[in-house]
Amino acid sequence: MIRALIIDDEQHAREELQVLLEASGEFELLPPCANAFDAIKVINQQQPQVLFLDIEMPVVNGFQLLSMIDEERMPQVVFVTAYDEFALKAFEEKTLDYLLKPVETERLQQTIIKLQASLQQGTTPYYEMPLLQRIPCRCVRRIKLIDVDEVESIFSDTSGVHVHTAEGDNFTDLTLKVLERRTSLFRCHKQYLVNLDQLDEILLQEGGTAKIRCHSGQSVPVSRRHLRQLKEQLGL
Amino acid sequence: MNLILDLLQQMSVFLVIAYIFTKSPAFRPLTSETMHPRHKVLLYGIFSTFSIMGTYFGLPVQDAIANTRAIGPVLAGIIGGPVLGIATGLTGGIHRYFLGGFTATACGISTTTEGLIGGLVGLALLRAGKAEQRFNPWIALVTILCAEAVQMLIIVLVAKPTPDAIVLVQTIAAPMVLANAAGAALFMSIIRDQRRMYDHFGALFSAKAFELAEKVLEILGPGLDRTTAAQMAHLIHSWTGVGAVAITDREQILAFVGLGEDHHLPGTPIVSPLTQRAIEFNQTVFANGVHEHFHCSLSSKCPLSSALVVPLHIDNDVIGTIKLYEPRSKLFLNINRSLGEGLAALLSEQLVHSRYQEQKSLLTQSELKLAQAQVNPHFLFNALNTIVAVVRNDADQARDLLLHLSRFFRKNLKRASDITTLEEELDHVRSYLYIEEVRFGDRLKVEMAIDPALLLIKLPTFTLQPLIENAIKHGISQLLEHGLVTISAQQHDGGIEISIEDNAGACDQNNEDESDGLGMKIVDKRIKNLYGIAAGVRMEDSI
Repeated sequence: MIRALIIDDEQHAREELQVLLEASGEFELLPPCANAFDAIKVINQQQPQVLFLDIEMPVVNGFQLLSMIDEERMPQVVFVTAYDEFALKAFEEKTLDYLLKPVETERLQQTIIKLQASLQQGTTPYYEMPLLQRIPCRCVRRIKLIDVDEVESIFSDTSGVHVHTAEGDNFTDLTLKVLERRTSLFRCHKQYLVNLDQLDEILLQEGGTAKIRCHSGQSVPVSRRHLRQLKEQLGL
Repeated sequence: MNLILDLLQQMSVFLVIAYIFTKSPAFRPLTSETMHPRHKVLLYGIFSTFSIMGTYFGLPVQDAIANTRAIGPVLAGIIGGPVLGIATGLTGGIHRYFLGGFTATACGISTTTEGLIGGLVGLALLRAGKAEQRFNPWIALVTILCAEAVQMLIIVLVAKPTPDAIVLVQTIAAPMVLANAAGAALFMSIIRDQRRMYDHFGALFSAKAFELAEKVLEILGPGLDRTTAAQMAHLIHSWTGVGAVAITDREQILAFVGLGEDHHLPGTPIVSPLTQRAIEFNQTVFANGVHEHFHCSLSSKCPLSSALVVPLHIDNDVIGTIKLYEPRSKLFLNINRSLGEGLAALLSEQLVHSRYQEQKSLLTQSELKLAQAQVNPHFLFNALNTIVAVVRNDADQARDLLLHLSRFFRKNLKRASDITTLEEELDHVRSYLYIEEVRFGDRLKVEMAIDPALLLIKLPTFTLQPLIENAIKHGISQLLEHGLVTISAQQHDGGIEISIEDNAGACDQNNEDESDGLGMKIVDKRIKNLYGIAAGVRMEDSI
């Protein structure tokens, strides 16, 4: 059984694909997601082996969603779309496959065969991704996209990943690792990323560590291991 | 001395008659450039009469007549050429000959010779391209001075006995040369002034010609076809008073009005070689009825004899002709010739303009088609996918969806006519929205607030659809939930506002691909075409 996640903003489209995938008997389906925000959380938590991913979705589209996934846990991706052949052309070589809506059973069968072969090989797919410009964050009952430029620092703790701006803290489902790779933020500590453009001063401390003070006055720790890199980065 | 005074007195009577002549219709031939043989005959009659009159008004002197006979032949010669000059001179001369006296023969010969001299001067001026100079009084004066000198010489040489002739010439030479010269110059200046008056009349004519031109252009607006051609032909015919007016395209007569319209029928092919020549060489062909005739090949009873054929062309392609005709009994007036040529030039300009307009509207139509085509695939496949899913659980709803989809596409295809009503537009849009509402489920709600009084207002087809599609594509589909599209139509400060609103917030211009921009532009352009520049599409962010 292949652990699969359907991501589509249209309910009928989700249901239809669900019926088709169940009928094939090859899949263990996670509860489908209606948008990229829900999806990223499920992907990080449940690690599906394959995504059936719609391209046109509100706020964060299918392509953008991929760049929010941890590379090491990157699932196989099958794009499902009504009419985006041109957009898909550019992606065709990099993704496993794509399906056109309405999906035909025979066509799906071919995809399943491809998918099984790919999973047996056991290699993690790699997609070249553009940098993230905005970070999706979750507030109470709403979703917010924060410009990377506005971010001062990001840190993770047991409760999750926190995006800190001058206005306050926001919670994101993206991992620190993804944010380090896909943004210009600098890793200054095992648990911290910092935006060097927001840096006010560096306070050197005993034991080879330091503290960064940001524009808003927030203090970000720098570990001994990362201080040297920080100095190099700043040309000190 | 008395002789001079008497002769001048006679000349005055002569000039009064000349003046009356220039006021009469008989003067008409002298106002046009080309002369019909018939008109030459008329002039011959008139100038011969003047010549004979000159003899009768003459004063008996020593068995001879001091006279102003020479004015007629000389002027006839200058104006009408050597043939007319000689003919007039001969008539005056023969008449003089039969009156007798010892100078009878000499006077007969000399009058004919004087006509010839006048004719040679006229011919020389014509050849030199100075046709207008023929009406110069000074030239008439000099010519007649020479002619009279020759006459005196002939009298001396021919009249017997010669001593008597010499005595006579001594007596009459000065008074006759003087009187004839003055008479000829004054007569010519009366003719010239009269011609100028006709020119002035011509200027008034031009002013009215502009009026005609304007009306003709108005008719031509939609382009050249049988209906517009017939209207134009009628207008030109009644306005110019020419014998007949025809308008053709390259192959056939589109309209024919006036003399001969019983056998020159619209719809029949062009047979006139003049017209064929005008079309083939893209040049104006003029058969003035004197040197070149129009011969009707359709009917031997056709009264038309002169014709002007002016090609109508778009750039360098001849697309037809305008033809003006006059019957045998009438002279083709210069003024009508210029008018015909001017009108044709004007109409050609207009045709270029209307072809440009036509192409522009074709462009808009094809842009529209393109936009319509671009709307469809995404919507279609998503709709089909929705139906494929719905049919599993709710066959009735699936059926509704299919019916709406079919209705939507049928309307899309059918709406060839340019103008529709708000009601029909809304109907079209409802089918679209029904499908989208099912597709988006809870995420889309549609509200309408339409003033029922506005349902019948006119709109270009395909006005609301692109705007609503835009609201869904760039608005609602970007919302995670609670999408709302509001369509309203209200009367407003003397205007009408139809608004389509979504609650998705600021429109992101970067997000819009080219086809949407094009779609909006077409809607804007078409509304402006229908309602004028003050109307149009406005996009705004309410936040």
